[in-house]
Order: sequence, then C-alpha cells, then structure tokens
Amino acid sequence: MKTKILLLFSICSLLWSCESTRTAIFDQYSYQKTIELKVETKQLLGKSSQAYEANEAEINQLLLNVAKLTEYEKNKPNNETSYEMWQLITNEEKNLLAGFFKYWKEKKTVSTTFKEEAEKQIMESFDVLIQFEIKKDKASQQTLLDVITKNK
Amino acid sequence: MDIEKVMKALKENLLLLTKETYKDIKPELQKDINDFLSKSQEKIERWSLLLASNSITKDEFEWLLKSQNDLLTLKVVQRAGVSKIKINNIKKAILNTVFQTVIGSL
Repeated sequence: MKTKILLLFSICSLLWSCESTRTAIFDQYSYQKTIELKVETKQLLGKSSQAYEANEAEINQLLLNVAKLTEYEKNKPNNETSYEMWQLITNEEKNLLAGFFKYWKEKKTVSTTFKEEAEKQIMESFDVLIQFEIKKDKASQQTLLDVITKNK
Repeated sequence: MDIEKVMKALKENLLLLTKETYKDIKPELQKDINDFLSKSQEKIERWSLLLASNSITKDEFEWLLKSQNDLLTLKVVQRAGVSKIKINNIKKAILNTVFQTVIGSL
C-alpha cells in the first residue's frame, strides 16, 4: 500500500514539475481588456480615411493602452503564447494593428476601401487573441477546486 | 497578378514554417494551414479585383498581402499555445485521478 502511494506521489511530482507544458489560466481581466481594445480599435480605424494628425492623440492613447496590456501579459507566469501574440500585434514592422497606424501616418490618409479591408484583418487578429484566452484552462481549474472542496 | 504563383509561394513558406519551427504539432497545424490557404485565396482574389479596378493602390495591396502572412504567424502561435493547453489538461486530469484514488484509499 505504502509503495503504491509513494509511486503515485512520484508520478504527481514528475507531472507537476513538467514546466514546459504549463500554461496560464483564463484571465477575466485579459479577456475583458482585449475586447475593449478591439472595440476601441474598430472605432479608430473607422476614422482612417481622415487625416492622421487629427486623430493622433486618440491613436497614441490606444497604443498606450495596448502597451499596458502587453506588459501585463508579459509578466503573467506561463503566458508566453499570449505575450508572443501581443508582440506581433504591437510590432510596427508587421502589418497588423501597430503596422496599420504606421502606414496611416506615412500616407496621411487611406482610401475607404483599403480601410475596410485592413479593418477586417486587424479585427481577425483580435479574434485570435480572444479565442485563445477563452481556450485557457477554466475547466480544469474548476475540477481541481472541486477536488479540494470535496476533501475538506 | 498571378494568384497561382502567390498561393504557391505562400504554401511553400507555410510548409517551411511548420517543418522548422513547429514540427511537434505539425498534424494539427496542417488542418489550420489548409483552412487558412483556402481563406487566403478568397481574400487574394478579392484584393486582386480591387487592385485591378483601382479601388486600392499597389502599396495597399502589398500591405494586405503581408497582413495575411502576419495573421498566419499569429494563428500558428495560437495553435502551439492550444496544444500546450491540451497537454496541460491531460496532465491535470491524470493528477486529479491520482488525487482521487489516493484520497479515496486513505
């Protein structure tokens, strides 16, 4: 019996120590903030057929809010995937959120058709982030809590 | 604009990406890539028509093409993360079973 228990605890320790597969759990704050940023971005992209300068303050505020969330994601344990995705979105050299603002700044204004197509691309990138957050470990966190509660 | 050529180049780049960077999750990625390629083709065709009708400029067309590549990178990163979550769920299910078994036998 004792040998069996020791064996079981050894297996648990081995599994628990597998750091490479640890992932962050679902975070309501990340989820909510990402959706807020998606909505704010959509609103701002809608103005991109206007002059960049007229919207510069709003653009800088949005980028600041995105930078804050990116920093938050960076410092969460086992959250490398989300952080990597946010880095892509905030990279001016890529053609997503930050890249679009850089393009808009260079061109001063963009055509309505391009604005609509770019908006679809950027909204899709936000959906990738949101869907990933949803897929995080809500279910098994609850299972673990159930086990602890049942055995009090 | 030779869409076939663009699609061929896109497919080659995707295969290289899965082979080199994400070889551990290649089967799951393959499905995502196939879906992505078919959606990419629709978009590229639509953008090509817009370019041909001067509704967008050549710069804008190029920007959109690159954004599609960047979206793919994003989805590949997401898929790697999802695979990690699945492995983690299996690990936690095993742990849960072990806990239940040990506690039940005490």
